[in-house]
Amino acid sequence: MVFNSLTFVVFFACVLGLHSLPLPWTAKKINLLVASYLFYAAWNPPFVILLWVSTVVDWYAAQGLVKARREAARHAWMLLSVIANLGMLGYFKYGQFLLDNFVTLMSAAGIDYHPAHYDIVLPVGISFYTFATMSYTLDVYLRRASPARNLLDYALFVTFFPHLVAGPIMRPTELVPQFAQPRRATGEQLRFGLALMTLGLFNKIVLADSFLSTVAERVYDSDKIPAALDAWVATLAFSGQIFCDFAGYSTTAIGAALCLGFAMPDNFRFPYAAVGFSDFWRRWHITLSSWLRDYLYIPLGGNRHGARRTYIALMSTMLLGGLWHGANWTFVAWGGLHGLYLAVERALRARFSGYRPSPLVFVLLGLLTYTLVNVTWVFFRAKTFSRAWIVLRGMAGQNAAARPILATFSLLSAAAIVGALVLTHWLMRARTLEAVIARAPAAAVCVVWALMAFAIVIAQGSGSAFLYFQF
Amino acid sequence: MPSSISSSDSGGDAEGDHARPDAAPRANDRDRYARETAADRPGVAQPVPVRPVPEQPWGKILLGVMALLALLVAGWESYWRGYDAKPGIRNTYALWGIQRQRIDTGKGNATVLVGGSRVYYDIQLPVWERLDGQRPIQLSFEGTSPLTYLEDLAADPKFVGRALVGVEPDLFFSGFEYRGGAVRYTRKESPSQYIGQQLSMRFIEPYLAFDDPDFALNTVLERQPWPERPGKHVFLVPRKLGFHEADRNSYVWDKVSDDPEYRDLWQRIWRDAFEPGPDDPTPAEALKIEKEQIARAVQVVAKLRARGVRVLFVRMPSSGEYLAYENRDFPRARTWTALLAATGAPGIHFEDYPELQGYLLPDWSHLTHSEAERFTAALYGVVMRDFWGPKAGVEPVAPADR
Repeated sequence: MVFNSLTFVVFFACVLGLHSLPLPWTAKKINLLVASYLFYAAWNPPFVILLWVSTVVDWYAAQGLVKARREAARHAWMLLSVIANLGMLGYFKYGQFLLDNFVTLMSAAGIDYHPAHYDIVLPVGISFYTFATMSYTLDVYLRRASPARNLLDYALFVTFFPHLVAGPIMRPTELVPQFAQPRRATGEQLRFGLALMTLGLFNKIVLADSFLSTVAERVYDSDKIPAALDAWVATLAFSGQIFCDFAGYSTTAIGAALCLGFAMPDNFRFPYAAVGFSDFWRRWHITLSSWLRDYLYIPLGGNRHGARRTYIALMSTMLLGGLWHGANWTFVAWGGLHGLYLAVERALRARFSGYRPSPLVFVLLGLLTYTLVNVTWVFFRAKTFSRAWIVLRGMAGQNAAARPILATFSLLSAAAIVGALVLTHWLMRARTLEAVIARAPAAAVCVVWALMAFAIVIAQGSGSAFLYFQF
Repeated sequence: MPSSISSSDSGGDAEGDHARPDAAPRANDRDRYARETAADRPGVAQPVPVRPVPEQPWGKILLGVMALLALLVAGWESYWRGYDAKPGIRNTYALWGIQRQRIDTGKGNATVLVGGSRVYYDIQLPVWERLDGQRPIQLSFEGTSPLTYLEDLAADPKFVGRALVGVEPDLFFSGFEYRGGAVRYTRKESPSQYIGQQLSMRFIEPYLAFDDPDFALNTVLERQPWPERPGKHVFLVPRKLGFHEADRNSYVWDKVSDDPEYRDLWQRIWRDAFEPGPDDPTPAEALKIEKEQIARAVQVVAKLRARGVRVLFVRMPSSGEYLAYENRDFPRARTWTALLAATGAPGIHFEDYPELQGYLLPDWSHLTHSEAERFTAALYGVVMRDFWGPKAGVEPVAPADR
């Protein structure tokens, strides 16, 4: 079920009620586990089997890793986990993509191949929970952590509903220890957790769904040729939409976990105030970027084997990171652009290592970063390369046949929301939300919270899925 | 070694160039809530996250939020009730799905109504039920050609009843589908969506007048008189037309007939829609589309009739400028007559029956609630007398256009 649904409201109230009953800790954990399976089954019950497979494979792989005496056996257990998880991901997420590309290759070779249509439904959140379970086995393999002591705690780590389908991608060392001792939210945690959930849902339902998504749709999902203004506003709107959608999900998830007494890691740190792309990736989808860094970039050599190897590792990581987001070459292009940006930035930093920008240049570099990030969003949002080129040409003012697509309200609402969003990111660049709330008058916190809740109510969200569910 | 069952220490900075002082909030020493993220700890097991709660009187704040929210919601509800709105069930795909499901769960021989908004609002299910003894299943959608939904019925062997198919020329012969996704939605509806629909239609929608897509925040703001962007004409978008009940019996809002301003607005909406838009098909393309829709109808009717389903086309009443527009862009001979001739199915055109004429259509397209009740009784009479009743005889195979 999605957080922005009536079903979730009832579900969450039941979970909170059960969790506050005077039951033994093990019983409460079983409640949470069953609730998490119900949460997932509410989309498509049979796919719970995939969760079980992922859980069981990595549980036994980690046990095998610990018991293995020979290095080859350790490798084998690790490979079992990686192959099982990536195999599942490959089958459900990339099967059609691989088949389509194979057909294209055959066609290029003059072979007319027509396979049966690969009608597979993508299980929600499979990319997230396979990465979570893989991190468990890989941490044990890399001797960073020892396995969980019991299957219940481990299964709950994999399945815990706040992070299950769209992250933050949790590592076992972040969550499993929290299951060791009884946890129940304090009154303050519960209330602040509810405030975070309101903030997250406000981002999703009001800003992303009600205002920004339609602006992006009207340009990206149409066959009209956009002029510069339409192309830029739609792309900026999408930059706001994807942030509000995904950061909204993460904030809601963090708030939901906090209401139950659990802590989840930050996933976003005001990314549109990033200066440079390494800074951007330290602020955007932090749990994915750090996952890719720890389990892909560093094992590929990281920055310890010379410049050439570093660039190869960087580009490979970002290309695969792009592919993780979706089975389409446009996502690979998105990742490739980010890889290119990171490589260029790295080279510039090496060349001008002593350079310290003035405050004005610093802000200009930040705006340049945001502009270039928006160029990458074109490939992320467009369904095809041809549409991406049309929008990019529009952004460059090169679409001669263009005519206005967006009406005044769309232009103004997107500009106002995205402008406010970017400004907020800059104001919050070196701050935390908690610090700002702590300094604010209680009455202001109360009014802002109530207004966000009211906006959620009157926006009448349609319960549409979060963008990142498709990944 | 750090353990997955205990928090790990941050290890050495294996990729030291990741950490720079200008990057993260931890640089701000004045922020006592500042904390590291996984971005700051490369190549190590990540510790249990820190999730501080800012110091505030959260209990009092929450009470204040609840009170303020209650006041704001009450005010919003009061505003819309003052606008003559009242609670009703939302006409969602899930609501449609509940009715569609009835065909597969024992009501396969029912009378099904499928069409656009005229069949949806102008045929009153309680009146039909009173006369017939059976309540029809309403599967129409506003602004939507019925063909997709008819094709869905044709593909379902469990449906062996009767289909009354509304023909609104500008929808039927253009294939336009404003709400064409119900079949797809229903097939993919998740348990969560099903439960959400049940909860909403039982505990929220019957009590709140503002819970209507027409009164949603974005819709309300978008409808304000924003200055028009040069080169971008904003067409008027249809407003709230009626109310829906749990079984999709629907009727036109009194405001459409009783509030002259609202009625005029509806007439302006239609008038705006009659004007050719920049994305409209060319006359040649429109003709091609008409033929394609008739061809679709031929196939679907043949499939239904082969299974014994009785299909009856009905051209529902329209008047004023709407009727003039329909006659201009979708002339009867080219559309209605051609449809009946091609499909061989019988049809009722309101202009051919005195008892189906002379009703009040405040927006030129839909009947008021009371008129819809009167019209339903008259339509039922014609249907049973000439087509489906015991004295109607065998259904004509290829009737002449009446």
